[in-house]
Amino acid sequence: MIRFTGVLLALLFCLPIAVGLFGTIIPATGLAPELAPGNGFSELFADPRFWPSIYLSLKTGIIATVLALLLTLLSLVCAHGTRLWHWLNGVLPPLLAVPHAAIAVGLLFLISPSGWLVRLTSPAVSGWTRPPDLWVIPDSGGWSLIIGLVIKETPFLLLAAAAQLPAVNVDAALRIGRTLGYAPARCWSRLILPLLYPRIRLTLLIILAFNLSVVDVAILLGPGNPPTFSVFLLSLVSDPDSRATASAGALVLAAGVAIVFCFVFVLEKIINHIASNRRESGQRGRALPYLRKSAQGVVALLLTVSIASVALLFIWSFTQRWRFPHTLPTNWTLNNWTARSGEFLSPMITTLLLAITTVLLAVSAAIAWLECERRGSVPQLDWLWYVPLLVPQVTLLFGWQAAALLTGTDGLWLTVAWSHWIYSLPYVVLILAVAWRELDPNWNNAAAVLGAGYWRILFKVRLPILVKPLCQAAAVALAVSVSQYLPTLLLGAGRHQTLAIDLVTSFGGVDRRVIAALAALQSLLPLIAFIAALVIPRIYTHRRVPV
Amino acid sequence: MEPLRVDSLCLQLPDGTTLCDGLSFVIEPGEVLVLMGPSGSGKSTILGWLTGTLDARIRASGEVWLGKIRLTNLPVEQRRLGLMLQQDYLFPHMTVGQNLKFGLRGGSKSDRHKLVEKSLANAGLSGMVNRDPSTLSGGQRARVSLLRSLLSQPNALLLDEPFSRLDVTLREQIREFTWKAAAELPTLLVTHDIADVPQHANKLDLTTGNYASNASHGTIIRSTIINKTES
Repeated sequence: MIRFTGVLLALLFCLPIAVGLFGTIIPATGLAPELAPGNGFSELFADPRFWPSIYLSLKTGIIATVLALLLTLLSLVCAHGTRLWHWLNGVLPPLLAVPHAAIAVGLLFLISPSGWLVRLTSPAVSGWTRPPDLWVIPDSGGWSLIIGLVIKETPFLLLAAAAQLPAVNVDAALRIGRTLGYAPARCWSRLILPLLYPRIRLTLLIILAFNLSVVDVAILLGPGNPPTFSVFLLSLVSDPDSRATASAGALVLAAGVAIVFCFVFVLEKIINHIASNRRESGQRGRALPYLRKSAQGVVALLLTVSIASVALLFIWSFTQRWRFPHTLPTNWTLNNWTARSGEFLSPMITTLLLAITTVLLAVSAAIAWLECERRGSVPQLDWLWYVPLLVPQVTLLFGWQAAALLTGTDGLWLTVAWSHWIYSLPYVVLILAVAWRELDPNWNNAAAVLGAGYWRILFKVRLPILVKPLCQAAAVALAVSVSQYLPTLLLGAGRHQTLAIDLVTSFGGVDRRVIAALAALQSLLPLIAFIAALVIPRIYTHRRVPV
Repeated sequence: MEPLRVDSLCLQLPDGTTLCDGLSFVIEPGEVLVLMGPSGSGKSTILGWLTGTLDARIRASGEVWLGKIRLTNLPVEQRRLGLMLQQDYLFPHMTVGQNLKFGLRGGSKSDRHKLVEKSLANAGLSGMVNRDPSTLSGGQRARVSLLRSLLSQPNALLLDEPFSRLDVTLREQIREFTWKAAAELPTLLVTHDIADVPQHANKLDLTTGNYASNASHGTIIRSTIINKTES
C-alpha cells in the first residue's frame, strides 16, 4: 500500500512532465497536422522577430542572473555578521512572498519618468516640473526587465545561500582563515564560496531558467517590439495556425536554456581551475573597509528599491489625486478598493480557492512522499522535483495545453489546480524534506512503545513537532499558486480569472490606481500567509507552556 | 620571538556575568601557559578575545601586546597568532598539500612545494601531499592542522583543547609533536584535562585564580579571577 502510494505520487508528477514535453514535440515536428498544421521550425526561423527576441531573452536572462549572483555574493561577503545582515534576514522572506508581477508594477511606479524617484528629486534637485521624456519604461533595451528580475531573484538566491551557511561552517572558516592572515574577503573567496557554490548551484540554475523564459514580468517590464522570446511564443500559441511554430519555439527555448546551462558548467570548471591555483599562492590580500561599506550601501539600496516598490503599490491604491511633482498624494481615498470591490471579489475568490486547493494537495502529497521515503518504500528523488522548475514554463505548458485540448479537459478548474500543484510541490517537498529527514526517529519509537499506532504517531507526534516547517511550506505553496500566470492563462481557457491574470491583462489599459490596488491585493494574500506561518507555530507551542 | 602579554583583561557576558576582572599575564617565547577550568569558566572566551574573534555582545577591556606591538585593535588577520581548535578544520575542498600551502606566506611555487613536503616528512606524513583530508586518521589530521598554523609563521600559538577529540591512544603522540613544534613560541593552552598539561608549563585555574609556575624564570601573573563557586 505504501509503495503503491509512492509510485502513484511519482507518476502523477512525472507523467504530466512527459506529456508536456511530448505535447510540445509532436506539434513542433508536424506529427499532429490536425492540431498544429505547418512546419513549425521553418516558419519559426523565417519569422523576422525570431533572432531579435532570442537575443533579448538571452541578454535579459543572463545579465539578470549574473547580477543576482553578484549581489548575493556581495551581500554575503560584505554584510555577513553585521547589523545589515540581521536586517536582510528579517526583510527577505516577506519580500520573497510578493508575486513577481506585483513587484514589477511597483517598480514601474518607482523608476518611470513620473515615478517616485523623479518626484523625490523634483523640482529641487532635477529642476523638472513635468515628467521628463529622457527615458521610457519599459525601455527597448530590456533594462527595466533586468532590474525587475534582479530585485525579485536576489532575495531568493540570498535566502537559499543563507540557509546553507551553517552547513559550510562559515564562522569557523572565517576564524581559521583570518588567524592564518587572510583578509575576510579572501576567506570568503578561497574557503567559503568554493564550498557554498555547489550547494546553491541548483537554485541558480532555476533562477537562470526562469529569467530566460519568464512571461508575466516580461509583458509588464519588457519591450514590446521585439518582445522577449517567451512573450513572442505566447502571441503565437493563441493562433491555431501558428501552434506548430509556437511549439517549435518552445523546444528551441528549452534547448537554449540547456545550452546556457552547459555554458555555466564550463565556466564553473574554468573558474574552479583558476581559483584552485590562486588558493595555493598564499597571497593574503588587504582588508578594504571602504569597499566593504560601499558594497553594503549597494545591498541596502537594492533592498530599499524592493521595499519602496511594494510600498508604492499600497500608496497608489489609496491615492485619489497625486500631481507631479508632489512626493506624496495630495488626496487620499478608499474608492480604488471599495468602488471596485465587486470586480476584485471574483478573481480574489478564484485565486484563494485555487491557492487553498494547491496548499492542501501539495502539503498532503509532500507528507505522503516523505513518509514513503522514510519507510524505505521509495528512494530519495530530490532531483526529480526540480525538473518543472528547470524546464521553461512555455515548453511544458504548450504541451499540456495541446493535451488538454485533445482530451477536452482544458478550462476545467481541476486542470488549472493540478498545474498549480505541479509548480508548488517542488518547493513544498524541498522545504519539508530537511526537517522531515532530520527528525529524530526516537520520537516515533517513544510513541510506539507507549502503544500508539502509525496514524496516531503521525498526527499526534510527527506533524505537531514539524508544525513550523509545515506552515512555512504551506505559505510558500500559497505564494506560488497566487503568482501563477501562464498555467492559469493557458489551461484555464479564459474561464478562471485570477488576480495574476487580471493584473497582467488589464495593465496599460486601466487606471494605475486600480492596477495598484490589484497588485496590492495579489501581494497581500501571500504576505498574510507568511505572517500566519510565523504566528501559528508560536501560538501552537505557546499554549503548551503553563502561565 | 617576542613575549605575549595581556594586561588587565576584563570580560563580561551579556547577562552581566563577569568571567575575569583584571587578568594579566606574560608568556615568554618557549613557555606554555595553561588556562584551566570547567566548561563556562571563560577559557575559550579569553582565546576569542586574544584572536579578535570575540562575540560583539561580550563586553571586554584590556590590552594585548606581542613584544612592543599592540595587538588590541588590530584586525584578526594582522595579529599573527596561530590557532588550533578542538576540530582540525582542514578545508575539505583542498588536498593536504593545498591546506598547508594555504598557510604558507610568500615564496616561489617550487620553494613552497618543497617546504610543504619537508614539513610533512618531519611530521611523519611523507607522501600525503595529494591526499584528501577526509581520508586521514584523526591523529594525522591534527598534525596537518598544527603544521598549517605553524607554516603561517605565527608569533604565538593559541591552543583550544586541541587534543580533546583525539583517541586516548593518539593523544600522547600528538601532545609530544605539538610541544616539540611549538618549542620557540609563546603558547597559551586552554584545557580542562590535566593530562594535556606539559611538565614545564605554568598553570592558571580560572575558577579559583590559583597560579602555579614551574618556570625557572619568573613569569608575572597578576590576576583577579571571579570565583564562581563563591559568587
